[in-house]
Amino acid sequence: MQLAFYFDQTRCTGCYTCVVACKDWHDIPAGPASWMRVETIERGKYPHPFMAFSCTPCYHCAEPACVPACPANAISKREQDGIVVVDRDACLGKDKCQLCLEACPYRAPQFGAEDNAKMQKCDFCIDRWAEGKQPICVAGCPMRALDAGPITKMESRYGKVREAEGIRYDEGLRPSLVCKPRRQVYLASY
Amino acid sequence: MSENEQVITTLCAPHCGGGCLLKAHVKDGVITRIETDDDTDNVQLRACLRGRSWRQRIYHPDRLKHPMKRVGPRGSGQFEAISWDEALDTIAAELRRVVQTYGPAAIVHWVSGGDQAALHDGWRRMSRIFCMLGGYTRPWGLHSYEGGIFAELTCFGMGYTAHTRDDLLNSKLIIMWGWNPAATIQDTNTAWYLMQARERGTRIISIDPRFTASTSAFAHHWIPIRPGTDAAALIAMANVMVMENLQDQAFLDRFTIGFDAFKNYILGKEDGVAKTPEWAEPITGMPAATIRRLAQDYAAAKPAALIAGIGPGRTAYGEQYHRAAITLAAMTGNIGKSGGSCGGKSWGPHPLGKMGSGPKIPPNQVDDTVPHPPGKLPNRKYYIWGHGIINVFRLTDAIIRGKAGGYPADYKFLWITNANPLNQWPNTNKTVAAFNKLDFIVTEEHFMTPTARYADMVLPTTTFFERTDVTMSASCPVSYAYRRKIIEPVGESRTPLDFATDLARRLGLADYNDKTDEQWVDAILQESPLTDVAAFKRKGFHKIELTGPSVPFRAQIEDPKKNPFYTPSGKIEIYSRMIADLNLPNCPPIPKYIQPWEGRNDPLAEKYPLQLITTHTKRRAHTQFDNIPWLRELEPHAISISRTDAAARGIRDGDRVRVFNDRGALIVPAKVVETIMPGVVDLPQGAWYNPDENGVDRGGCANVLSLDRPSPGGALPSNTALVQVEKA
Repeated sequence: MQLAFYFDQTRCTGCYTCVVACKDWHDIPAGPASWMRVETIERGKYPHPFMAFSCTPCYHCAEPACVPACPANAISKREQDGIVVVDRDACLGKDKCQLCLEACPYRAPQFGAEDNAKMQKCDFCIDRWAEGKQPICVAGCPMRALDAGPITKMESRYGKVREAEGIRYDEGLRPSLVCKPRRQVYLASY
Repeated sequence: MSENEQVITTLCAPHCGGGCLLKAHVKDGVITRIETDDDTDNVQLRACLRGRSWRQRIYHPDRLKHPMKRVGPRGSGQFEAISWDEALDTIAAELRRVVQTYGPAAIVHWVSGGDQAALHDGWRRMSRIFCMLGGYTRPWGLHSYEGGIFAELTCFGMGYTAHTRDDLLNSKLIIMWGWNPAATIQDTNTAWYLMQARERGTRIISIDPRFTASTSAFAHHWIPIRPGTDAAALIAMANVMVMENLQDQAFLDRFTIGFDAFKNYILGKEDGVAKTPEWAEPITGMPAATIRRLAQDYAAAKPAALIAGIGPGRTAYGEQYHRAAITLAAMTGNIGKSGGSCGGKSWGPHPLGKMGSGPKIPPNQVDDTVPHPPGKLPNRKYYIWGHGIINVFRLTDAIIRGKAGGYPADYKFLWITNANPLNQWPNTNKTVAAFNKLDFIVTEEHFMTPTARYADMVLPTTTFFERTDVTMSASCPVSYAYRRKIIEPVGESRTPLDFATDLARRLGLADYNDKTDEQWVDAILQESPLTDVAAFKRKGFHKIELTGPSVPFRAQIEDPKKNPFYTPSGKIEIYSRMIADLNLPNCPPIPKYIQPWEGRNDPLAEKYPLQLITTHTKRRAHTQFDNIPWLRELEPHAISISRTDAAARGIRDGDRVRVFNDRGALIVPAKVVETIMPGVVDLPQGAWYNPDENGVDRGGCANVLSLDRPSPGGALPSNTALVQVEKA
């Protein structure tokens, strides 16, 4: 079984609630490490701009690039749910390595501000699934723009579109993600 | 979840208009995590990023833990920690001295909506003490939407005009006029209902100088408009409707008075200028064809909701914009109808649900002894922040000039509750001068805010996690929330009612408080429809089940004979006799476009060519949360400037710029964007004032640049200010 995210970009207002809820739940201080990242995408020229928001945790790829990249074998993919996890004790630390970050096109591996910080990343809220709860970002999204569950269920519910503004699907890695992208809908003139 | 961990429900309501459920995980007396509403039976009240960040606010290292007494000059930040006994003894002595020497009118209490609750509420508790001492000066007026209140009180006779947000699902067309609820919240589920409306096929149009997150997510069309010219656009739309005979004449005949006078004005019979789209185009920057089509679409879509954001109302003559919006809602027959909108301000409390208000407050002798102030509507006192004799926007001036300036008293003592006025009142440098003139300032705070730095005594108060209270969420669904004390007060901080009781005792007011907080909560709930209070307390909240959306004025429309409007005529007053009687300059009894001061045609624009607007950012609630690390890192504070205006000044994205006018100067980074109308710059309000040795604000407080001159109808023009921007 592979767990997957669903992201409805048409609903996202870039409010960052997922980012803060994640930091609170996983007790991550302010600083460079953020398991969930929201970015604003702006294109076009006044008076015809385009704006969208991308929402990027770890997509727990079917073929995660970070796993073979790690020289310490600190990263693994769980059989039972496909969640990619890191053994922080085994990680060599950001001063010595960072090969996982270089390998990941989504920049999911994160490092705190401390000396030789060990890698940390979105663990899809393993602890919450165990209690029958959805990940904290999904349960908290004020726009109900996120969902999560087995990839087959996400696909049957939402289809198989895997790209959105600011989110590219990597055929080799196969991130576990289904999207509803925001398209340019604002009419040029009224 | 571990064994000794508890999860306790409470409600976040920190001055955003929303009220969201929080579920605090508590272990060994410490909050370890916060979740939000997971109700599976009703619409959830999901908290935003601010609500999710409370843990960093409660346990912030800067949290005030002791009463602080100022020992250096005002603003220096030099304080020493003292005991509660010393703090309250000092305050009691000062209060007595001021009352005896100058009379009770010298005491001013300013309270804002920073921390909403029934028991530890901002004004009742302190108001009661001051009134027991003989009264105090209570300013009236709301910074947020006084122009909207003025319009509603004159057009409808009352200010409870907001539909519950679920009614957006019944609209065929939604016009978001200067409205960005994705950032401002204005009811917990506003953005969520807008999204659902859009997904059901409702057309949504956004009129705004900025292309906002709300515009990008909800709107099909974006129409940029110059700040301060909204009334002109609306009046031109009215002109189109009349010229093309699109108005709902039967509705106007039946439910309104004064439409003919308005018609004369828009057709140019009054002043020889027809208020056509071609007239409005050079004023507003909206193409005439756009105005025409917008008018046609609004008249054709039934029902249609014109949601008049309160930001455009915070301009010079902002009340004209709100009155024009209401007039258009009447012309299209959308008032009192599900899916429509009366065109009133985009947010206000709902008169839904009911509970008691705690201890009774004696009459305020200061208010009672002064005649009704000129320029204030006779029915203003029946709406929130309506009692009092000094308009809050005049308060800085009143403090500086006192009786010699024609004000009713000389002001000596200021008590501040749930507010950061040094930062949030207009014209910061003048507010500093006013604060420096006062004998004594007390503020209740969590942090050493810009206001606290100018106070003589700063009392450390609890957050709602640290005390027992009850409150209501005005959001949809409207809810009651029991706020159980979840953790012990941080440091020596005390609950507001606790230190007020202690102060009252020192002032000899023995019968001030005879109940525990829990007993007060029970007494307050006795007046609510909740039948099983014990069950409510166990669950922590109760969502009111409505049979459908709440639609203001439905009764007036369905049976106007039985249910007249609350106006003198009993009808919607497009022409207002009350306004005519006030006889204020530039405040006509029918809505008109009046060229604003500090607009782009003001001669001052040669020196200061950019129009400043001071909007809301999603990472603050006014000044609250500005110091929360999790939120600060999300978006740096910056002034947004168009690519065109930036290029003309050699400013690149990220450059530090000096923003200034005759009132002050500040230095902030510039954000060069395509999402703002050229000629307009946007500095979000609420950043903390932090002047350097030259008086240049390094914190980026927008009010350093705003003017403390209320509009004739009371609107606070915080979005009317001309500035210049240059590379720092």
